[in-house]
Amino acid sequence: MGAGEFTGAAGANLVQDAPPRAAAPGKKWIKVVKVQNGLDTEVWEEVDDVAGPTWGPREALRLVNHDLPRVDGPDKVTGRAVYTHDVRLPGMAFAQVLRCPHPWAKIKKIDLEAAKQVPGVYGAVVLESEEVKWIGRPIAAVAADTPEHAEDGVRAILVEYYVQRHAVTPELSLAAGAPKISGNRENVRVHETEGDVAAVDAAFAQCAAVVEGEWRIPVQHHACLETHGVVVDYRGGDSATVYASTQGTFTIPGDAARKLGLNGAQVTAVVEHMGGGFGAKFGLGLEGDAACRLSKELGRPVHMLFDRATEFLAAGNRAGGVHYLKAGATKEGELFAFVGRVMRHGGVGQGSNQKQPYIYRPKHSFVEVKSVLTNTDSSRAMRAPGHPQMSFAMEGLLDDLSYAIGMDPLEFRVRNVPENRRATYERQLRQCAELIGWNKHPNRTAPDKSDAEVKVGIGFALATWGGGGGPECKVEVRIAADGSVEVLSGSQDLGTGTRTYLTAVVAEELGLEMSQVSAKIGRSTYGAANASGGSTTTASLAPAVKHAAWNARNAMFEHVSTLLGVPVANLRCTGGRIEDSTNPDSNWIAWKDACAALGTKGLSAQGEWQSHLAASGVGGAQAAKVQVDTLTGEIAVLHMVGVQDCGLVMNRMATRSQLNGGMIQALSYGLFEERVIDPDLGIVLNANLEDYKIAGCKEIGLVQSVLDDADTRGVIGMAEPAVVPGQSAIANAIMNACGARLREMPLTSDKLLMALRGMKRG
Amino acid sequence: MKAFELIQPKTLDAALEALPGARDPRAGKVKLLAGGQDLLGELKEHLIDPDQLVNLKALPGLDRIELGADGALTIGALVTLSRIEGEAAVRERCTALAEAAGAVGSLQIRNLGTLGGNLCQRPRCWYYRHEQAVCIKKGGSECFAYGGLNKYNAILGGGPSYIVHPSDVAPALVALEAQAVIRGKRGERKLPLEEFFTLPSEGSVLRENVLSSEEILTQVVVPAPVGSGWRSTYLKFRERGSYDFALSAVALRVALDAEQKIRDARLVLGGVAPIPWRCEKVEKALVGRKIDAATCEFAAKLALDGAEPLEHNAYKIMLTQALITKALRKLAAS
Repeated sequence: MGAGEFTGAAGANLVQDAPPRAAAPGKKWIKVVKVQNGLDTEVWEEVDDVAGPTWGPREALRLVNHDLPRVDGPDKVTGRAVYTHDVRLPGMAFAQVLRCPHPWAKIKKIDLEAAKQVPGVYGAVVLESEEVKWIGRPIAAVAADTPEHAEDGVRAILVEYYVQRHAVTPELSLAAGAPKISGNRENVRVHETEGDVAAVDAAFAQCAAVVEGEWRIPVQHHACLETHGVVVDYRGGDSATVYASTQGTFTIPGDAARKLGLNGAQVTAVVEHMGGGFGAKFGLGLEGDAACRLSKELGRPVHMLFDRATEFLAAGNRAGGVHYLKAGATKEGELFAFVGRVMRHGGVGQGSNQKQPYIYRPKHSFVEVKSVLTNTDSSRAMRAPGHPQMSFAMEGLLDDLSYAIGMDPLEFRVRNVPENRRATYERQLRQCAELIGWNKHPNRTAPDKSDAEVKVGIGFALATWGGGGGPECKVEVRIAADGSVEVLSGSQDLGTGTRTYLTAVVAEELGLEMSQVSAKIGRSTYGAANASGGSTTTASLAPAVKHAAWNARNAMFEHVSTLLGVPVANLRCTGGRIEDSTNPDSNWIAWKDACAALGTKGLSAQGEWQSHLAASGVGGAQAAKVQVDTLTGEIAVLHMVGVQDCGLVMNRMATRSQLNGGMIQALSYGLFEERVIDPDLGIVLNANLEDYKIAGCKEIGLVQSVLDDADTRGVIGMAEPAVVPGQSAIANAIMNACGARLREMPLTSDKLLMALRGMKRG
Repeated sequence: MKAFELIQPKTLDAALEALPGARDPRAGKVKLLAGGQDLLGELKEHLIDPDQLVNLKALPGLDRIELGADGALTIGALVTLSRIEGEAAVRERCTALAEAAGAVGSLQIRNLGTLGGNLCQRPRCWYYRHEQAVCIKKGGSECFAYGGLNKYNAILGGGPSYIVHPSDVAPALVALEAQAVIRGKRGERKLPLEEFFTLPSEGSVLRENVLSSEEILTQVVVPAPVGSGWRSTYLKFRERGSYDFALSAVALRVALDAEQKIRDARLVLGGVAPIPWRCEKVEKALVGRKIDAATCEFAAKLALDGAEPLEHNAYKIMLTQALITKALRKLAAS
């Protein structure tokens, strides 16, 4: 199974269909996914065309593809695990930032003197001295002996502003006479139009049913448990250490070195554990910039982690938007005509790079994509950038249309997914249907129209993503004379369980128990690794780990071959020993004895990415069952099912956990999450974890995660598709339960009540 | 938060001594600390910047629940919400109170939050809670919620401020005819809890109750009701069940006679008005009626008569009517 398969309709941005030229001798071209700031793009890559290790038959795997408790689980639950927030160093200063209180202001003067006089304050720096164009932009930072003194210092900074008229909401920005946020250009930008409006209009005339609607999607926050930040330890001299809460260990040293006046090799990034990124934590950031400057100026370590409000205001978000969609179908259920007009809300940025129609392929379509600027923080990549937004509108439209022609929405989906992925989606949808009880559900072709007070409905939605890996990782396996084995990679672990599968892959290859192998990760002095974006980490790293382990094993075999007098080809590792496979009972050597014979130099082997061990392109289907109380508007999600393909699974337990997490994050997005801005005051009203609501344990019903084992390909990532369809399935389940189509997230009780009473929400 | 001096009195008199009089320049700069669940948020958000905090936790006797010989239940202001929720005497005699205490925040908050603190907590309106929005409750001239984003604000009793009272236990206690016991420097006063709370149009718009800066709420007394057939409940509707303030809540106590007709009723709404909102008209009209669908509809409609929704909170009318119906049904079945 190769990496080039199953692409095209996947989530990645497409490249040309053919490689740029013929492959050199001993080489071959493959498509791989590269990620820049969380957006995945497929590119052609020329790689060695040689035989390497294989994963082997799945049934023969002893550790990989099994349920493996995390090797660092005990450290995390007991608090022994050191996150960037937890780093404490001798003489360390705590830093905080001052945020501009105005959405748009020119800065007349910033005076740090009073701040520097505050007891405990060590120093202060200006981060922005000219102009601020978005709510909450940090403009200065203060370092002090305690976080409290740093805050006192921040509040003592004197700033004079020329306050500008702002446009913090799309409505304000689109209004006549709105201030132009980006120089002289208009606040609205047209990104693309595709298709022929007249042809689509003609196609609508041939449809048995046509539906339309405007879907409104709020801005969501990443809301990482660990806020953005770093601890910069530079006390002069020619080396520095930067502890970072980042999705890319190797995105830190270069930038930090420039700020500190060092070279990249002189800066070590450390990412032992990190508390969530979801796409918002690439590179040094404003926070890292401030910490480097303060550390350099003060000659002491600086702890600069955003407070919760700054995390909400200045650490990115998932773009919102408005999607006007219209679609028509034939009475046989063919999606025949489609119009999609998308307006993305990405703050001072452009919003996420995706367009309609999502997944499904109408026969005739016209699509327009625009974005509108506002005086708010730019959106950043967030777990499957653009996809959940597209999904929410498109999947809702699809259900409306299937009911309009009296067709089961599941069958309508099967009929209209891309041909090359139909088998996968159909298998996954039918498994969801079985597990959620769709086949016994009474209202499969029309919503429940009964007078019952409490009703139950079921909805479905699909996902798509590129995933896959690329040749970006270097892994080392070290075997010491005492028999201990280490696997080293600079890769960060966003919480997906990197240490655990590194350990498992190496232990599997060497015939050892996991306890005999230890994984060291999250340090830029170890082998290079890609940043974690686009669900590419595991598919990039695991093949390199396998390769390194395989090389280590081969080197051990060379060494043992002479000890046992057995040809390398006849040796095998199993059960903590290396044995002659033709005579295993009498000719073998214990692992420890073989290692002892290596002497103090031990053994070290390197590994690089192996294209044939990875693959790319995944689908995924999810279903939700909800209960609505038509008297109160209460919406309770009773049950969610997710069926996800992802090639060879490294750790089934961790992968199910990631699928659970995706479904829960989507549930929370669908039911609760929304940035709220007062348009007149220009302030975010809910930059805290009380009013920015996130699902807690009482909101999460039964979540059932199923790994699609019919997918027999190599390793592929699956973090992103997991988060795509959940909110769409929930909205569809609400519709199925009571006939109310909620087109604006979050799907809250007030909106449902007003919809049920036929009243427009104020 | 701003640095402050922590005063740790050992007696109630010493605590009162630490409180400045209304004309003292320190008035407003000294705050009472009980469980701290609201106060710490206010300090961290710089909504208040007191110079001194008077920690009440060491005061003797205020952390007790006592059942009097007359059946009255006296609950000290320092009793935690989780204790009230779990106390057998409360669960049996004052079901609505136990349910309300159990509906507050999260378990962690209930383990620290106190009865007195819950009754005296400040509003949650997101304009009030935002340091930059100097609204009428913080000495400004405008209620930003009135013409702003007011999904969570008042539909009854609003103006000039449109906050809703955030307490869960307050509507339950008002429904149970509780009395508030208040100690000042010149002695003790006792008043119906209903009169403890003030509308923004009545008292000072800067406050939500009659407590002066020299007073401490020390106890709440729930008298034993006369006669039999009493039952009560508190229904709270939250957007997020794990922890949230009420979008709307209903505290209802009724006494049913042998024919299942309502002999006496008390209906108090939470989450919809700046005070626990008593529906006296409904209470009177319910007497003599059986709880059936017609009664539920009648009561729900009458209770919301006169509601004036703002731009984004008309749903509260329907929601509150639904909760009244559900509360009546529940008590009929219990």
